[in-house]
Amino acid sequence: MDLNYTTEDVAFRKQVRAWLEHHMPRHIKNLDERRAWHRRLYEAGYLGMGWPREYGGQGARPMEQAIVADEMARAGAPAPTNGLGLGIAGPTIVVHGTDAQKRRYLRKILTAEEMWCQLYSEPNAGSDLAALRTAAVDRGDHFEVNGQKIWTSGGANADWGLLLARTDPAVPKHRGITCFLMDMRQPGVDVRPLKQITGSSEFCEVFMTDARVEKENMVGRLGEGWGIAQTTLGYERGGRALARVTTYASQYRQLVDAARRLKRNGRPIVDDPVTRQKLGRVWADLEVERYGALRTLTMLERGEHPGAGGSITKLSYSEFEKRFMELAEEILGPYGQLTDGVPAEYRLEVDTAIGDHGTWAYAFLWSRAGTIYAGSSEIQKNVIGERILGLPKEARADRVGGPR
Amino acid sequence: MNFSFSEDQVLLRNSVRAALDEQCPPARVRAMMDDERGYDEALWGEMAKLGWLGLPFPEEQGGAGLGLVELALVLEEMGRAAYPGPYFASVVLGGLGLMLGGSPAQKEKWLPAIASGQARASAALLEDGLDWDPAATTATATRAGHGWRLTGIKRFVPWAHVADVVLVPARAPEGLCLFLVDPREAGVTLAPMVGIDLGNRWSELRLTDAPVPADALVGPAGSAGPVMDGLLRRAAVGASAEMLGAARRCLDMSVGYAKVREQFGQLIGSFQAIRHRCAEMLVEVENSHSAVYYAAWALTAGAEDAAGAASICKSYVSESARKVCGDAIQVHGGIGFTWEYDLHLYFKRAKSLEPLYGDAAHHRELIVRGITAAR
Repeated sequence: MDLNYTTEDVAFRKQVRAWLEHHMPRHIKNLDERRAWHRRLYEAGYLGMGWPREYGGQGARPMEQAIVADEMARAGAPAPTNGLGLGIAGPTIVVHGTDAQKRRYLRKILTAEEMWCQLYSEPNAGSDLAALRTAAVDRGDHFEVNGQKIWTSGGANADWGLLLARTDPAVPKHRGITCFLMDMRQPGVDVRPLKQITGSSEFCEVFMTDARVEKENMVGRLGEGWGIAQTTLGYERGGRALARVTTYASQYRQLVDAARRLKRNGRPIVDDPVTRQKLGRVWADLEVERYGALRTLTMLERGEHPGAGGSITKLSYSEFEKRFMELAEEILGPYGQLTDGVPAEYRLEVDTAIGDHGTWAYAFLWSRAGTIYAGSSEIQKNVIGERILGLPKEARADRVGGPR
Repeated sequence: MNFSFSEDQVLLRNSVRAALDEQCPPARVRAMMDDERGYDEALWGEMAKLGWLGLPFPEEQGGAGLGLVELALVLEEMGRAAYPGPYFASVVLGGLGLMLGGSPAQKEKWLPAIASGQARASAALLEDGLDWDPAATTATATRAGHGWRLTGIKRFVPWAHVADVVLVPARAPEGLCLFLVDPREAGVTLAPMVGIDLGNRWSELRLTDAPVPADALVGPAGSAGPVMDGLLRRAAVGASAEMLGAARRCLDMSVGYAKVREQFGQLIGSFQAIRHRCAEMLVEVENSHSAVYYAAWALTAGAEDAAGAASICKSYVSESARKVCGDAIQVHGGIGFTWEYDLHLYFKRAKSLEPLYGDAAHHRELIVRGITAAR
């Protein structure tokens, strides 16, 4: 056990920090600017770092990827775009795709020439994702897709979608699903923004009416989609863990500054013993998340995959984020609810990924999403209970089998 | 950066676990509850032979020269076994206290004796006001001839009834001092304080003009504050390691029980109400593991965030362990509330350590002081 960074890693961190100081844009106003920033990051070798070199990646170590993400968080750098391409679709193609698919898609994901979304959830298939009903029917030379997807992040700008669809309604539900790469720019695909409680629309609904998917765009084999989806849901865990905590820490410092300025009962809130207890607890929780991120990184560096352990990380940080934001709201009072007209000292200086000014209100509302998306807290607890602790599965009607 | 145990560390943990499984099973723990001294001399001798009693001491003083990560591994296993005995008092409170502040002669006299098991040590860090801030010490030291006379009341002194030497803070005109006190000497009286954890014995230690020689003073007069700060941090992390072990044992027992206990015609572990509780317990245990070993490493390595890490560790684990051990009773239902079932041994171990060396509230205040002072 040695939690010091190696000299190489320290040097690499310095190099990334220096690069960011010179190249980081102050503020990004629209998608074109974000794509340009994305492109610079890619050309500097800071995107898709873990991907194979022959498809445009760097073959870098997990630690180097984590350092780049961490330094970007530290500097408050804008995020790159094409998050679902980099985080989900790309890694899926790297692991499960054909050579032709890798050559065709991977580099354009890295350069953001082609934007991706993930077509998994449906109105009646949320936590029970395997209940999805979108159908892909074999029409000889292609598949014909009909159905509806929801909670599609980045759907409005997507050129391609990583799709889960039912190809065999006659077998038990987990076995009749296939994974596809679908062209989003076709007449049969209708994308409508979904307005969330934040007032913004990071997510979309996608309606597919006789949409077409070419045969060569099937990923893996027919009926193997569920297994592929299980591995891809794990990709996003781990690599960004350190950066996430660094972002929390930057928000925390801004909160402490606000707590020095704001007063309660005639004295700064930061001197109020009750608030101090809560601030102390949140900082301890935040640091414990950082230690956990270091443990995950240790595993990744050794070539091990956290597997179901990723559920512990996800459950822990997403629940933490809600507690953190609830404390922020408590300290900031009505300032914490302002979405416009926020005095500069109570603004939240973080990148919002949609280009707006950061606000505590947005971050607070957004914290409600983390315990729902990518497997709700309840689903994570099921995974932990069954796969890590080995507790018996519950008796469930759909495990008995039968057609869909 | 490597946050995993080395091969040697894994071997150490396995050998400690095997030895305690064999020589300190719950039946033995229970037998010690009724023992006047409260611990097993044979196991104590075995621990000396295995090198546990001198684990963190320098090799030239009979120790193994290992760090706090290794010490935490041993303590975690002791929590897992609800080990009854003066290990923590002797090695952590007495031993590390001497290592931090003792003169070469004091170390030479005591560390080899502690390591060999011949002497047992402790420290009296708490008074009636329960304030962990060393500056709050009210016991007094006055010069008398070549030596000193000490007066004051110390509470919750672990294993003082079997100790040969106790580190006692007292206030002298020069400032805060630390003295080595033989609790069997004149002017010192002990009275048992019996808590819910019968494997963790406490005494009230009363000093009434107790004479101590000049060489009982640890370090220069007035210099005890930083030594006590360092000792309290190490004790907080060590106690957290023990609480972590108790919590992990409670989780293991709960999961085991949920796999065999049937109600409504099903194993209770198949109910989400039970399974989700167990999952939450695992999250708390894994986070506690992170907090304990990060802090243990940081203190050993002298990392700049070491003091903060110790407070983060104790504040986090104090509440987590209480929650996990309490949830374990809930998962077990009625059987978990019986004296006969072993669960309460671990529940009480975690609970008994929760307020010691600073509870969660104490350490949260230290954390915030650190953050707000950093500007």
